[in-house]
Amino acid sequence: MWVAPALIMYSVFVLYPLGQSVQFSFYKWDGIGPATPAGLDNWRAIFTEPELFGSVINAFILIIFYTALPVSLGLVTASLIRELRVGTFNTAARVVLFIPQVLPPVAAGIAWTWMFSTEGLVNQALRAVGLESLTRAWLGDFTFALPAVGVIGFWLSLGFCTVLLLSGIGKIDPSLYEAARLDGAGRIAEFFAVTLPGLRQEIAVCATITTIAALASFDVVQIATQGGPGYQTMVPGVEIYRLTFLEQRIGQASALAVFLAALVLLVIWPIQRIGRHE
Amino acid sequence: MRTSKTPSRPSRRTSYRIALPAILAALLASCGAPGAQSPLSDTPETVSTSIGDAPVTLKVLVSTPDVPLYEELGAAFQTKHPNVTVQVTGEDFNNLTTNVPRLISGTEVPDLVRLASFGNLVKDHLLTNLDPYAEAYGWTEWPQSQFASTRVADDGRQRGTGHLYGAGPGFGLTGVYYNKSLAAQIGMTEPPATLSAFESSLEKAKNAGLLPIMVNGKDGGLAYPLQNLQMNYAGSTQVVQDWNYNKQGASIDTSALVDAAATLKGWSEDGYLPEDVNSIDQTQAPARFAEGEGVFFPSGNWQAPTLQGAGKDEFGFFLFPPEEVGDPFTAMTAAGVLAIPAKSEQRDAAAAFLNFIQTDTDARQSTLDLLGLPPAGPSDAPMPDSEPGSLVASTVESFQALLDSDGLVDFMSNSTASMHANTLVPQTQLLVGGKTTPAEFSTAIQDGYENDAEQ
Repeated sequence: MWVAPALIMYSVFVLYPLGQSVQFSFYKWDGIGPATPAGLDNWRAIFTEPELFGSVINAFILIIFYTALPVSLGLVTASLIRELRVGTFNTAARVVLFIPQVLPPVAAGIAWTWMFSTEGLVNQALRAVGLESLTRAWLGDFTFALPAVGVIGFWLSLGFCTVLLLSGIGKIDPSLYEAARLDGAGRIAEFFAVTLPGLRQEIAVCATITTIAALASFDVVQIATQGGPGYQTMVPGVEIYRLTFLEQRIGQASALAVFLAALVLLVIWPIQRIGRHE
Repeated sequence: MRTSKTPSRPSRRTSYRIALPAILAALLASCGAPGAQSPLSDTPETVSTSIGDAPVTLKVLVSTPDVPLYEELGAAFQTKHPNVTVQVTGEDFNNLTTNVPRLISGTEVPDLVRLASFGNLVKDHLLTNLDPYAEAYGWTEWPQSQFASTRVADDGRQRGTGHLYGAGPGFGLTGVYYNKSLAAQIGMTEPPATLSAFESSLEKAKNAGLLPIMVNGKDGGLAYPLQNLQMNYAGSTQVVQDWNYNKQGASIDTSALVDAAATLKGWSEDGYLPEDVNSIDQTQAPARFAEGEGVFFPSGNWQAPTLQGAGKDEFGFFLFPPEEVGDPFTAMTAAGVLAIPAKSEQRDAAAAFLNFIQTDTDARQSTLDLLGLPPAGPSDAPMPDSEPGSLVASTVESFQALLDSDGLVDFMSNSTASMHANTLVPQTQLLVGGKTTPAEFSTAIQDGYENDAEQ
């Protein structure tokens, strides 16, 4: 019975809208006028319209930048910071790494749009070291736009992963490190024998949260590229927004949204399993 | 035994007993087809050109850059009608466009709202049919071409015919700006008279180490030259106009569009466009052009007041040149449309305001001064003053010339609600990026159009 208040709130604000989305996905509806049943048309379109399916593929590519790179680099950074003596430099390193987490992603998107522009910081840096030939309008380039968006996501997730992993390292029994050292383990062996197993749960949390961020990304893409050039950086989040508000295809948008939610659950489920496994 | 080991089990079962019905109830509650079942009526039964003496608040919702103009127009209107308070609210244009359907189907609706396209608004009976007002105020006696783009047929889709659903203070107009001193460097003293003269200027500019064309490829600037080229090659504006107006069976997938795409692609391959064309947006392009980057800048008269302010006499404006000398000039235009939501409680006052901004001499002057948009209105209304020889003056002259020659065409971007963002912008980017062929491009534009038409 204690669960009732929470359950009511949950039903009204989560289950009811979810049920509605599922229902809308079987209709053709502009959000205002009368709706007509559409059967499975909206669901079929996700797989047959290249623009829709392409956006799902792009979201998976973003996982590399939002999850794989930040988690692995976060592990390295966290182990390095652990060895730093507690003091100004240690604190400074933590603060610098965590700052992106404080900024709203929209602000980060705008700042990075400037940095990636033709005369922006990235190209200036390349020119300064004599790599003039590599300069380009990163976000307007067909090959590099998606990786460039990925870099913004990487920058946003790295700090979060590092700080979370650092706190995890703090919980590892220091005697384990001592034992490893006594057994003659080098830094690398120590990392694989002590740090990595000790951080299993933290890694799972990092991976889960950043994977959701990658698959459900919206703000950074909407600000930086709006899905362009062409359809090169289109992601489901932006596509759902456009279908709903611009095209008024509420049914199609709902189908894609429900599909995306299911996909996110499907992807994070194994990550959760790995995290829990003792 | 089990229960003693895992005391959480029974309680979990109880929670299922509560949870399952709750979930089912929540899901069931959402059954039944969504959407309005009984449509509203959009035609006012009684209309009046008088707004009476009772205090009236007129809520006007426009895009942010237009706020100063509407505040000025509102103040002028209040002087004439002291019982009226005009309340102007601004919203980012893209936000406004995406939110209009919800804003005017809600409970607190504005009395006048700026629209980009009609979408399903007429079909869903959300806008007031202005025919009775047009009759009452005598708009029916004015040149009717100015109202073509805001007429919508009974099917709620085809434009250019049917009932009137919007009117505005002034008109946009596209053409090409040029930097006079850079043009002099390549020996161009007169605006090009033909497309081939224009193309040879582009080549000369390239050879002189200048950037021939500054254009915002990130958000659709490439669609202007594309449509101009299409109209040139088609030799008529009929195809694109029918298409823009959603005439039954209209198709843009023609040889003229394929050729236009091929030319635009060629310009990109020849280096006539900025290298970072696909990342330049509509604020960067005029700024970079004003700083001297680019000989030509295809855009619209809405840029004229700013460019005139940035450099007096440094920039000129000409209409996109036709194929042969003597062929008619064409340009894209769109009214800055205001519509009266069907749920507005001040329809009479809103219509009076619409009539005021189209006919009052000072109001017409403000529209030109602040937004660079020439007003239309009655055929005998004098065109507002602009500084002779100025950039704004030349856009006004061009507009009047086109009004007479019937060379004004709506934007392809306005043909359907998502044509601009979902089809034209990405497809022109693919085209100048060399990722698609002119024939594929042409097919994709038509596909995007038909996809929207089904909704």
